[in-house]
Amino acid sequence: MTDDAITPSSPPPTRRRRSRAPVVRHALLIGWAAIVMFPIFWMLQTSFKDSGEWVSWPPHWLPHNPTLKNYAQIFTFDVTGVAREATEQPFNIWGSLVDSLVICTVASLIALAMGTFLAYAISRFNVGGGKFRHMVLLIRMIPPIVVAIPLLMYYAILIPYATDSLFGARISLFDTRTGVSLLYLTITLPFVIWMMLSFIDEVPYTLEHAARVMGAGRLYTLRKVVLPLVASGMVVTFLFVFILNWAEFLLALTLTHPNVSTLPVLLNKFQSASEGRLYGPQAAIGTVITIPVVVLGVLIQKHLVKGFSFGMVRR
Amino acid sequence: MTEAAATARREDEARRSARPRRRLSAWLAQERVFRWIPFILVEGTFVLVIIVPFILTIYISFLRWRANRPFEQATLSGFRNYEQVLTDAGFWAALGRTFYFAGAAVILELVIGFVLAMLVHRVVRFRRIYITVFLIPMMVVPVVAGYNFSMIYLDSGPLNQLLAPFVEPFGINPRIRWLSDPIAAQWAIILADVWQWTSLTFLIFLSGFSALPPQLINAARVMGASRRQIFFWVELPLLKPAIVIAVVIRSMEALKLFDPVVLLTFGGPGTSTQTIAYYLWEQVWQFNKFSFGAAASILLLIIFSVLIFTGIWALTRQSAASERARIQ
Repeated sequence: MTDDAITPSSPPPTRRRRSRAPVVRHALLIGWAAIVMFPIFWMLQTSFKDSGEWVSWPPHWLPHNPTLKNYAQIFTFDVTGVAREATEQPFNIWGSLVDSLVICTVASLIALAMGTFLAYAISRFNVGGGKFRHMVLLIRMIPPIVVAIPLLMYYAILIPYATDSLFGARISLFDTRTGVSLLYLTITLPFVIWMMLSFIDEVPYTLEHAARVMGAGRLYTLRKVVLPLVASGMVVTFLFVFILNWAEFLLALTLTHPNVSTLPVLLNKFQSASEGRLYGPQAAIGTVITIPVVVLGVLIQKHLVKGFSFGMVRR
Repeated sequence: MTEAAATARREDEARRSARPRRRLSAWLAQERVFRWIPFILVEGTFVLVIIVPFILTIYISFLRWRANRPFEQATLSGFRNYEQVLTDAGFWAALGRTFYFAGAAVILELVIGFVLAMLVHRVVRFRRIYITVFLIPMMVVPVVAGYNFSMIYLDSGPLNQLLAPFVEPFGINPRIRWLSDPIAAQWAIILADVWQWTSLTFLIFLSGFSALPPQLINAARVMGASRRQIFFWVELPLLKPAIVIAVVIRSMEALKLFDPVVLLTFGGPGTSTQTIAYYLWEQVWQFNKFSFGAAASILLLIIFSVLIFTGIWALTRQSAASERARIQ
């Protein structure tokens, strides 16, 4: 080491030392990449295995007889048509798929609309004071289990009780799409506000000012000047919030039981069966849940860190 | 003449139908309305969905009530529920276990994420591919990640197959049931968490590394600093904000650990993998101890808010510092 520093004119040892480093580096990186990809690969290949191969010893790394049976099972409309009716498991994912899509889309869209306007108000008028930006984080940092118990009681007791005494009809938000959407909307609002703040802060106020001076109304300016500039940011925020909602498990598990179920809850139902677990259909459901989200995630990769780190990290 | 009358009437109608809309937009365009509507909407949602339920929960935590009896028959019981929670060994054990899991997972995630970010930062070829691959776990739904690991830890799973050549010479049956052993099950959950969330620490550190000013490092090199000196005296201090952010965000999230516990072990064997989230969930949804759960929620909220405020304080201080640095 010190020799190199003293005699920089001796290239061979330097080059040899440097030339080994990249190989080690790439080996380490490829090693971690293998660790990262392995569980996903295992799920993918299990989803193409037939029942005999699910738990064979030694396990097969690739299905010997690739089959689409698992996908056929979960996407079938007719449960009784499937060979394994004895296990009385909910094979069908259509119900959960629709529930998940509706809940996530509605909650994300409304959260996006509300959050964007508030972010604009915070950015331009400093609504709520300077500390408000950080206070919004509080809601997000509360562990979901602490929210889950109050919400269960709220949805299942207070709201039916209140509507019963006020309007004479028991309305319960428990186990409804509306209830879950409302909750998702609330817990993702802090994220929307944070992400949209970082996008709106980047729009120069002089642009808006110019439009206003030239006689454009406030709403017109917002629509024609600000909105086009933050549109891509809104798409990114929407996708990010959608992914969060799509992945949410604890609250969906606690606030829905027989009627509504999101995809993670459905996957868990399979897991709780102690006898004769259906590894193949489970893997197929896992694949169906994962692939679209990973594709979306790769598209907005650059912005993910902004969301996950509350905009604390730049870029 | 009739034509003119018709046009006049049409114009009149158009004006009349346009008026309410224009009045609405004029009202909206007032600054005070424009400012406060979104604020009131959002705050209203927070109050309705978070604050009101919490007030209800505080009330319920003073009741003597299980879900198998009607709510109207519940009687007030004072601080009995709080007493029960505070003297419950399971509650404290689960809380301690949560901190243990979070500590172990966060330390591993920080170290691995840091090393990976450092390596990727120095690599030129295949950089984008590495980054894309390393970020994938973050996008995998946690429940699916839990399922994947349950397949890997299976007694006839790939992990045992890979370990078989090493354990078979010692006469051990290679089909080990990892999730039936308390300590192995705990580490199974920690490793699943590390697999998923190292991607986030990696990303935070990577953006920290790429924000390093090259002039400073070049200057240090010109002045004859060795690689190690540059790392410890130039790069590491500059990476401090990224480290604080990673620690705070990951610890907050790790304390919520729930999904892999449900998917991998259901809190078992025994209670060895019950985190606080799982413990409470079981008390309320399996044993119907509602008022107990309510009291525990309130206590937990108090415990966590201390941590949350510390975390936010650290974050705001850090962001203020980095803001200052950026201005200079």
